[in-house]
Parts: sequence; C-alpha cells; structure tokens
Amino acid sequence: MKLKLTASQMSLWVGQKMNPDVPLYNTAYSYEISGAIDKQIFEKAFQLLIDTTDALRIRFYEEDGIPYQEAKDKLDYNIEVIDFSSDPEFNMISDWLLNRSLKKLDLSQQVFDTVLIKKSENTYIWFMNMHHLITDGVSRKIIFDRMNKYYEALSGHHDGIQPVDSASYLDYVKSELDAASSKTHEDSYWSSKVRDIEKIHSFYGIHPKPDATEASRVFLHLGRERSQKLQLFLQRPEVKGWTAQLALFNVMSTLLFIFMYRVSGQKKLSIGAPLHNRISRKFHHTVGYFLEIFPMLTEIDDADSFKTLLQRVKLENSDNLKHALQDTVTSEISNSFNVVLNYIHTGFSNFNGFKTTSEWIYTGHIDSNHQMRCHVMVPETNGEYKIMLDLNHGTFDHELQQKVPNHLLSLLDAMLQDIEMDISVPSLVTPKEQKLLIDPDFKIVEPTTTALTYFEENALKRPNSVALQGDKQTLTYSELNKKANQLAHYLYEKKILENQKVALHFYRNPEYIIAVLAVLKLGATFIPIPSDQPSERIRFIIGNSDASLVLTESGLIKNLDIDSNRLCDITKERSEISKQPFTAIQSDLKKNDMAYILYTSGSTGKPKGVRISHSALSNYLGWAKAAYNINEKSIFPLFSSIGFDLTITSTLLPLISGGRIITYKENTFGADMSLMQVFEDNMVNTIKLTPSHLALVQEKKISSSYIHTMIIGGEDLKIALAKSMQSAFPNPLRIFNEYGPTEATIGCIVSEFDSQKHLGTSVPIGTPIANMQAYVLDSHNNIVPQGVVGELYLSGIGLAEGYVDAPEMTEAKFVANPFFKDSKMYRSGDLCRINGNGEFEYLGRTDDQVKLRGYRIELSDIESNLVNYPEIDLCAVVLIEDKTSIPEEDVVNCIECGLPSNYPNTDFNENGVCHLCTAFESYKVKAERYFKNDDELLQVLTSKRNQNPNYDCISLLSGGKDSTYVLARLVNMGLRVLAFTMDNGYISDQAKANIDTIIKKLGVDHVYGETPHMNDIFVDSLHRHHNVCNGCFKTIYTLSTQIALEKEIPFIVTGLSRGQFFETRLTEELFWDEALDTKKIDQTILEARKLYHQEDDAVKKLLDVSMFDDDKLYEKVEFVDFYRFSDVSLEELLVYLKENVGWVRPTDTGRSTNCLINQVGIYVHKKEMGYSNYSFPYSWDVRLGHKTRDESLEEINEVIDETEVKRIMKEIGYDKSDDDWQNSDKLVAYYTGNPNLSLKDIREFAEQRLPSYMVPTVFKHLNEIPLTKNGKVDKKALKNLTSVQLELDTPYAAPRNEIEEILERIWQEVLQLKKVGIYDNFIALGGHSLAAIRATARINDEIELNFPLNKIFELPTIAEYSAYIEQTLMALLEE
Amino acid sequence: MNEKIITYIKDELSIEFIESIDMDEDLLGNGIVDSLGMMKLVVFLENEFQVTINPEDMTVENFNSVRSISTYLSKPQI
Repeated sequence: MKLKLTASQMSLWVGQKMNPDVPLYNTAYSYEISGAIDKQIFEKAFQLLIDTTDALRIRFYEEDGIPYQEAKDKLDYNIEVIDFSSDPEFNMISDWLLNRSLKKLDLSQQVFDTVLIKKSENTYIWFMNMHHLITDGVSRKIIFDRMNKYYEALSGHHDGIQPVDSASYLDYVKSELDAASSKTHEDSYWSSKVRDIEKIHSFYGIHPKPDATEASRVFLHLGRERSQKLQLFLQRPEVKGWTAQLALFNVMSTLLFIFMYRVSGQKKLSIGAPLHNRISRKFHHTVGYFLEIFPMLTEIDDADSFKTLLQRVKLENSDNLKHALQDTVTSEISNSFNVVLNYIHTGFSNFNGFKTTSEWIYTGHIDSNHQMRCHVMVPETNGEYKIMLDLNHGTFDHELQQKVPNHLLSLLDAMLQDIEMDISVPSLVTPKEQKLLIDPDFKIVEPTTTALTYFEENALKRPNSVALQGDKQTLTYSELNKKANQLAHYLYEKKILENQKVALHFYRNPEYIIAVLAVLKLGATFIPIPSDQPSERIRFIIGNSDASLVLTESGLIKNLDIDSNRLCDITKERSEISKQPFTAIQSDLKKNDMAYILYTSGSTGKPKGVRISHSALSNYLGWAKAAYNINEKSIFPLFSSIGFDLTITSTLLPLISGGRIITYKENTFGADMSLMQVFEDNMVNTIKLTPSHLALVQEKKISSSYIHTMIIGGEDLKIALAKSMQSAFPNPLRIFNEYGPTEATIGCIVSEFDSQKHLGTSVPIGTPIANMQAYVLDSHNNIVPQGVVGELYLSGIGLAEGYVDAPEMTEAKFVANPFFKDSKMYRSGDLCRINGNGEFEYLGRTDDQVKLRGYRIELSDIESNLVNYPEIDLCAVVLIEDKTSIPEEDVVNCIECGLPSNYPNTDFNENGVCHLCTAFESYKVKAERYFKNDDELLQVLTSKRNQNPNYDCISLLSGGKDSTYVLARLVNMGLRVLAFTMDNGYISDQAKANIDTIIKKLGVDHVYGETPHMNDIFVDSLHRHHNVCNGCFKTIYTLSTQIALEKEIPFIVTGLSRGQFFETRLTEELFWDEALDTKKIDQTILEARKLYHQEDDAVKKLLDVSMFDDDKLYEKVEFVDFYRFSDVSLEELLVYLKENVGWVRPTDTGRSTNCLINQVGIYVHKKEMGYSNYSFPYSWDVRLGHKTRDESLEEINEVIDETEVKRIMKEIGYDKSDDDWQNSDKLVAYYTGNPNLSLKDIREFAEQRLPSYMVPTVFKHLNEIPLTKNGKVDKKALKNLTSVQLELDTPYAAPRNEIEEILERIWQEVLQLKKVGIYDNFIALGGHSLAAIRATARINDEIELNFPLNKIFELPTIAEYSAYIEQTLMALLEE
Repeated sequence: MNEKIITYIKDELSIEFIESIDMDEDLLGNGIVDSLGMMKLVVFLENEFQVTINPEDMTVENFNSVRSISTYLSKPQI
C-alpha cells in the first residue's frame, strides 16, 4: 500500500528536509535492564516485533517531489550486540549512546536503529531509536511492552505467543488521508482563531534567530517539598480537572503563559500542545505517529491573578481541545507558536521481570520553529515532579538557560503560596541574580567642589585664557569673573540673597552666561527662560517659581508683563552695573541649595519647574569633565535653547574645565538657524546636541569641521546616524550618547558609541554615571530579568529635589527606593532593558506604547526597524486614532441643543453646554436681525411680478413636512407658484402619493426633475461629504435653476430649515461685524453660492452647469429661503399641515423622512464621522427655537435599517464594506530620505521584521520631520494629520513665518483639522464655499483688510495665500 | 440515552476492551476513559443529543459515571 503522508507527518517531513543533516526527529530511548538477556531470544523477539508492527517496516521516498510511505512485507533483521562489559565505565557508554542516537536514519531503507549493549553480566541496555515519522510517546510504550511480551513468551514464561490485535498504522494513515480529503478547513473553528495566534516575538528582549535547531535540555526537579505542595494544589476544587494529569496540564500551561508574558511583555499568547490523538480504540495499540499539536490560546488581562487566569486557561483549554478533536489543525496554525508544552504520561514497566530504567536520549536539536519546549513528566515513584525544558539556542544563550528554570520556579512557588496573587506581583529574579543588577554596596560619594568653585579656580589659574565669545565681544576668564562679580554686587544691592530665585530671560549671548554666574555667586537659584517663550508662559513661570527678580535685556522686555520692581533690564542698567566692584562676593552656598530651576512642559499643559541642587549639578559636571575629556582646549557652541536641560552642558561644562564658550544668538523670529551657523563658522571642537539636530547638519559643511567630541542627548540615537557622522567628520569623532531626564540632572546614563560593539539599531544609553544608579522595574517594582523590558528608575545624587509647588506630582514621580533605605528613586516613564553587554537600552516612552486592536505596540520598535531600510534616513511612527472610535455610549449631547460631543472640535463647558451654544449667546441678538417676516417675503416675491405672466416663484417641494408647509403658505399668500420636485429615484411611494394629493388640493402646477446620473452623484457625495444630501441638494439647485431660467421665473424658494442655514450659508463670522449689515451678508452668501457651483464635483461633471458661468444668472434667478422669513415651530407646522393640506407622514420609509436613500447618508456619515450629518443643522434648529432638543434627538436617533442601507449602497454602486469601517485606527510611518521609494518595498521590508499588527498602514514621505522647540520629534504634529491629508501628495511642512502661522490656525479652525501643512490644498482638504466664507472672514478680521472670497480658491495653499498677503501688505506700506 | 452512551464508550473510547459498563462505574477513576476521551465523549454527547455542554460544567461530579452524565443531561439547560 503506497500512501501519502498525513498532515502531521508532512510537517515533520518538511522540517527534516529543511535540516537534512540534523537528527531533529530521532527519538532514541535507552532501557537499562538489571538482568541477563539472552541474545538469541532477544533477536527473535525483535524479529517478531518487526513482523507484527508495520510502522517499523515503513520506508519513505519521494516521487516527483511528493513523499510517500510504504511498508515492506518482510524485513529480516539481525540485531547488533555490543559488549561493554570489559570496560563498563558509564560515561563512555552514555557518550556512545548519544553518538549513536545522532546517527542519521536513512528513511528510504529503515526508520529505526537498535542495539543491545552488554554493560555487565547482569546489566544490559536496549537502545532503540525511531524516527518521529512513525512513532510517538504512546508508541514507544507499546513497542517496549510488546517487545517485553515476546521476550517473555520466547523465554518460556508464558504459553506461546499472544497475537497482536492492533490495527496497522498504514490503515490509520489511510483513514486520515481519506478524512482530510473530504474536509474543508474554511469554516473551521481554527480558521477564525488564526488571526489571534501569535508567536512570542522576543524572549528577554531577544528576537529568535530563524532556522536554529540546536537546543539545550535543562532539567527542573521540583524536589520533595514543592512536589507535595503541587500535589495538594492540584486537588483544590478550583484547580482539579477530570484527572490529575489534566489539572497538572492546566496548571503548567497557566504557568507557562505567565512566564511568557513576563519575559516578553506580550499579552496574546499561544502554546502548542501535542495531543496523543488515539481517540478511536481501534488504534489504541497501534505504533505510529498519531500526535497532533493543537494551539492553546489566551490573552493576559492586566488584572489577572493566578486563579483568574487558571480558570480561564482551564475553560479555554477544554474548548480548544474540544475543537481540536473535531477539526484538523492546519499547518498554518501548527507553525504559529514557538512554545510547546508536552505532557509525558507514559511510564515504562520492567523487562522480563527485571528492574528497568528508561532514558530519553536527547539529541541536542529541536524543531527550529520551537524556541522553548516544556516537557512535564508523570511524577516519579517517589512522587516528585520533573520538568524538562528544551531551550533553543536561537534565543537562549548559556546564561539564560541557567535563569529560565529559576524564573519558572519563582512563579510556581508564588502560585503554590497564594493562588489569589496577582500574576505580575512575584519577582522572577533570584536574590543572586538581583545582586548582579543592583550593586548592594552602592554608596554616594559627595563631590567636594561646586561648579562655581571650579570656575573661580580657572579664573585664578588662567585669567587670560578666553572663556567666552559672542555678540562681538570676547571675555577672558578674569574678565568674565569680574563682570559676574559686578553683576552679583548689583543684584546684592537689589536684595538678592541666598536661595532666592532669579529668572533669566535672555537671548543666547554673553550676558546670559554672566547672569548665570552672578546668580550662582550669590548662592541664589537661576531660572533660565528662553527668548521665544510666550508671555503667558513666562508669567506663569515667574509666578509659580516665586522668582524675586527677572533679569532681562532690552530686546526682550516687551515679553514681560510683570511688576516693574521685580524686573531688571541689564541693558539699561549697564552703567550702573559697571560701577560695581570686581571683587568676589561672599555667599554661604550650601551644596544642598538649589542651583537652578528648569521648567519643562508638563502633561497638564502647565510647565513644571524641576529643582536641581548644587551637588547634583556638580556631580554631573565633574563626571562629564573627566569622562568626555573636556579641558582648556575644548570649545563649545552655545546654540540650543537655554530652557532645555541639555544646554546646561554647553553653558557650564566649558567654564569649569578651562575651555571656551561661543554663543550663537537665536533669530528674533522664524526658525533658529544657529546650528547651521556653528558649522559655517567652524570655530568649535566639542558640541552638545540632539540626534534631530544632528540629522539637520548631515548634509552640511562637516567635511572640514574641527569637531572631535560630540555629546548627544535628548532623544534616541540611531546607530546609522552615529556611523554616518563618524565617517563624515574629518577627525576621529568620539560620540557620547547621554541619557537623562531633567529630573535626574542633564545626563545620568552614558555610553560612548562603538561601531564594533554596537550592532543593533539604536546606540545603547550605556551605564549610570558616578553616584547614580538605574533600575529596570516592572509595574510592581520588581527588578526585571536582564533583557526584559521595564520602566527605568533612577536613583542617586543627581535626582532633582522635586517640582516647584507640586507636592503631589513630586510624590508620584520621586518614590521611595525599595532597594536602599531613606533613598528616593525617580520614575522616568522611559522603557528600557539591559542588553547582553550590561548596557541600558532606551526603548521609548511608556506612553509611547499604544494599543491597537488589543495589541500593545512600542512605536519606537517599529521606528528602529524602519530606519534600517537603506534609503530611509529618519522615521517617526504615530498611531492616528479614528474619530469614530469613541464608543457611542461615551458620547454625550449638549444639554441645550443636543450637539453630540464627538462632533469635531466641540468643547463642552462644565454645565454640559457646547461651545456653539455659548458662542451663540454673544451674537444671538445680531443674528436675529438676519431674519425677517412674512410681509417682507411677500414683498420680495412679488417684486418682479411683471416679469413673468404665469409664476412668481418656483417652490422646491420634497414632499416632506417643511417643504409642503412652504408651498401651502406661498399659495395661501396668493402667490403663483410652480412646484418642483426632484425625483432622485428614492422617494417613497407614499411620499409621491402625498405630493399628488398636496398638488391637487393646493391646485398648483408641478414638475418633476430627474437625471440619469443621480446614482453617480450620490456616490460622489458619499465620498466627498459622507452623506447623500449634499449631492442631492446641488442637483435640485441645478435642475430647478435650469427650469427657472427656461421659464423666466425670478425666484426659487427653498424649504431649508433655519438650522440648515447654519449648515450651508451662515457662519458665526458673518455676525462679528459690530455694525451688522444684512445686505453685506447676502452679498457674501451670493459670492459663496457662485463658488459653490464652481466646485469640481460629480454635479459639475455630469450635469449641464454652463449657465452658472454667467454672473447675470444670479440676478435672473434668486434663491429665497422661506424660513428666513417665516418663524414657525415644528408643532405649529404640523397642525397647519393637518388642518389645511392633509399631509400625512409617510410610513413606508420607516422613518420621519420621505426619502429612502436619506438613511444611507446618515449611516455612512455615522460610520465615517461618528455622528449623524443631521446633528449639526438640528442643533441649530434647537438653538433657534424651531425644534426642541428632544424632537431633534429623536429624529437623529431613529433606527436605521442596515439591510436596506446595504442593498441601496449596492444599487447605487457605493462599494464600501464593514471592513472599511472597522475601527480605522492606524499606524502611520513618516520618513525622510529618498522620496521615490517604492512603498511596496518598504512594506515588505517591514513585514519581514515586524509582526503583522505592527506594520504601518500608511507610509508617508516628509522632507523634514517636524521638531519641537527642544529639538525632539514633534509627534503631536504628526498625529494630528487626517487621512485626507495623508493621502495628499504634498508632504507636511510647518509654517515658516507669522502670517503662515495665522493662516494655519484659521485653516485648522475652519476645516476642523488639527494640523495643516503650508502646501496642503484648501479644496483637497474639504474646503468648500462655506469654509471659504469663514476663513476669509477670519483672515480679514486678523489682517484688517478686505480680501475677496474667491482668493482662497485661486491661492489654495497657505504658502501661496500668505505670499499674496505679504505682497498686499508691502504694497500698502509703499503707498 | 444510557445505552447509547455506554455503547459509545465501549466501542470508541475505553482504553482497553471492556465487556460491560455499569451505570455507576467510575469512568475516570477506573481508567476506562482518559481526559482526552472524556472530551471526545463531550463532543459525542453534544452532537448526539443536540445539547451544549459549557466548559464550566465539565467536572468530575457531572461526568464520573454514566448515571451522573445522564442526570446532568436531564437537568434543564440554562
């Protein structure tokens, strides 16, 4: 019988083929029998075994690449016997056994290898090696028992030989193949689970090497006491299962899941579990490969205890098992886990009555798919449990192999101790391991000198060396010291004493340095405030820090809106200061006094002041001087913001070292180009900067630079960047990567880049500096094992004294150090791990972690992979969250108008009132002036009566209540009306009947308008506006205008509600003008209408719109909004209709509308925007008193018939499906580098390196990554681009000047975008005529000019419009 | 019902060939069925008697003998 391989066999076959020379699937056992064995009988017995066991006679071969198996009818076998009895040294035998078990089996000949070894007269070893393709755990037991039976029978212990009553293996194979061919996997339980199955992507921070098969087997003996505890544990009611084995299996899988979670951080976990799969009794005694590996899946919850997880695992395991028994697991699933849990429950009995021990000989190789295999053995006779771990060298090096068993034991012990314990509570590391991670003998050695003393010593030692250059002056140490002394005396006179705070608001210039030194000399505390700070923020800082005085210079005084007696302009006081003595001033400076307070941006939106002591500062400076070899030859540029902690290095380090500072003053406005100037001047040899700074100079003039030392801080430093720097600079370049939050003083963990040693993506941040310690802890303050990611905590002399006036925040961030008594540690919020070299690696912010579809993702992880792409220079990844992702139940409605909180840019006050209602209060009275009364309406509509003998106006009649009311009232007023109805193909039958009745009853002429393009217009409208109404309205306007033109009817009356005016015509800006002129508003609306008809949409493409090209049209046909004149509430309206017209609400739309397609628009709008397109106009109806809030909400919340919606969508050809609307949060990768990269290639590159859920959806090229003022990547800016902006071809570019900033702000407000690039197109961003009204009104208001509405369409980018404004302003100036 | 269950266990599940199974025979304790077999039995019961057995109900108490299985199955399903 020639057969193909079963699915399970096939995966072994493939594994073996991929590693042809590795004994991956040799399963060798040695049975040591304590008794004499008769060779002849043994051989006979073995022959019988072969004869009765078809699996042993199987051979495998390929034909045309397809593997087959076939059993030989007869296989005569002579057993090999080796006599070791003359030299029975055990080790030698075991070496021999291991060697023999590695022997490659030639499967085309024979699937097993066996030897009988004589160890001594009374000890024999039976060695039996079988290829996994024909055997499994149960089979080995069957083989052993069968062999034993035959041997016993042949030895004459029994009467004759019992026949073997088991089925043949090939019969099983055949039944499996038959079953498989009739099965489809499509709808199986597993196909739906596949998406959830994830391998462990890194253990202990190590990504498994592919194709590694070498693995070590590590034994874990639980010992007597622990085994007893486990035994009892398994009997607990919440633990026990059908059998003790099952309970143990559940416990072990729970334990493994926790272990996996703790060493990988991954929450979605899967373990493969081999299933013996001999379900049918027919094959209970058949030798062969029956195993199937089925996946066990779980997802860890943050709040899990051992108990809750165990309960879940129990249920999940039984559910998975149940399905595993019914559906074959596909190979896709079998390859989707890399941890295996194997329960070995086959013990071996005695052989021929002799005591026998068995050993599974480990070949040193496992399947390359598996990184970790855990074998749990049935408890030994003494009741002790034994676990074997096969650890793949592709992940686990020698050191880790020692640690893993301990970590598992830590967890097991915790579970046995307290099942209620939170799974994150127990520490994994042993005390011995902990000692290697935290030096228990750490002691702080206080620096003896302060920074100031160092400086003053230099002033004595090298008075004539240049200390400071800039602003056209050069100061020697002596001169600088004297100037600082003078200023100190001056300040002393101003009553500045020790520990008082002095804010320094300066440009980067020598005055600033002098001021810093003067303040230090007084023993006071300086607070640097850079020149570009907004006044509001400065005021806050001064108030918050309780600064006694603000020192500043004339150029900046305008920023300071504070009491003049707290203000000192040194430019003005120059002559006064120069009268002061040169001598040193005596102060009682204590090392615990504050040297400076630095304000950093806080998460609350208010900056927070970090208080740094002299000892912290001196410790850093003293260390840095030595470590970076800063000396009298060092020249630093001072070019970065003085408000940035990183800049303290350039401010003080040169002066304490006898070196020199060159200051680079920032521009008064616009981007700071100082760094370019630094390289242009080429006067410095040492520089401190951020990687983003570095990226800016990449292409600049560095080939002749003198820089030899670079200190980099503030951000993750990529190895590629460091390397390219080293090769680009002409001198050997030392690059120090310095890590340190402001709260731990400038730099506290540092590494020197070493291109030989540092091979990953980012340069490690290194090791702590003198007197500092760093710990990587988990959420329970446990030290995590080396390699595992945790949060970085810092401790030591460099810690800040906390935040100014924020005791709670200080307490939250500076917590008690659990490792050293009376010591604090700072919680950095940074993720770190310690790599194999013992260096700390920075892995991003804890809040850089995002959650996408349940997966926790480190954005920096994606970034560091992408920057390895050859032509990508820099990369920043953000998660852009979808607006609609706010769950509906979290949406609240304005308590006055009902506007939902997920309407873009809404802002509710504490009373739950929306910003539109609040703002309306301020122009309500003025808005009322826009509205008129019925008499005026009559006046307007009869004003051109003589022009047309038949009609005064067209009345747009949809058949709904509002338009019916309009028509009835117009007729009632005695007007001659032509009713026009747009048949969009979806007007309900009842609505049509309604229209017929109304027309008849009112006795008016009536025409239907229609177009064959309606469906295309709907689809376009859905794409453009996420609703159908916009397209429909425009069609109505177009077709009714055509008729009006033809029939020379001067007016078209709309039934738009007042709320809809605010959706389509009116904006808040129109009412800003104090002297409100409704004529002007009408004029603007008319202008907007002209633009509206020029918009490039489906209506313009598909209908004849040529008439709109002629401006005269707008005089010939005017639109009149009925409800502008008539004020009627919904209730009154309905009564009127009932009494006078006989209008009935159609019931066949299932809704309050008469249009069947209307709900498609609402449905799509809700899916894409999160709220109904009626929310906004209805909120206005409520605000204007035409609807109550309840009426509005009732209509908005009407039930939508999804089946019908989908049917119509299909009908009109709108092809979005639910998948398109699934939570559309997405990862977006921005990159700089080659703009013409193939996105497909980048994506493939990413897919090879990252799990699928981490591959960004969008890749967008930028010319430059936007930076914050401190030179860090501005992720907020990147996060706030919408999907439309991402699809634009234009890369994002930030505004470059004040006018562009103003325009950007206006565009953001009007277009409801969080970010607009200066090259983005207004129209492409959804700017339509109403937005043009708003934007233009705002621009005119700010610039105080009167730009026409259409300018914004002529010059549709911020860059163009801004240039136009500038030209206009220049021209005006010249006049 | 009992007969069907007993026949199924005898023909398909029992690890060793077995002549007869008593209503109160301890299926797990006496090693007639192992835990995998038990799961197979669950699948059989679900298909044969059109019931759904919650993982929570898969306890020794409910399944240790044919009698207890039948008692469990005759309880009203929630």
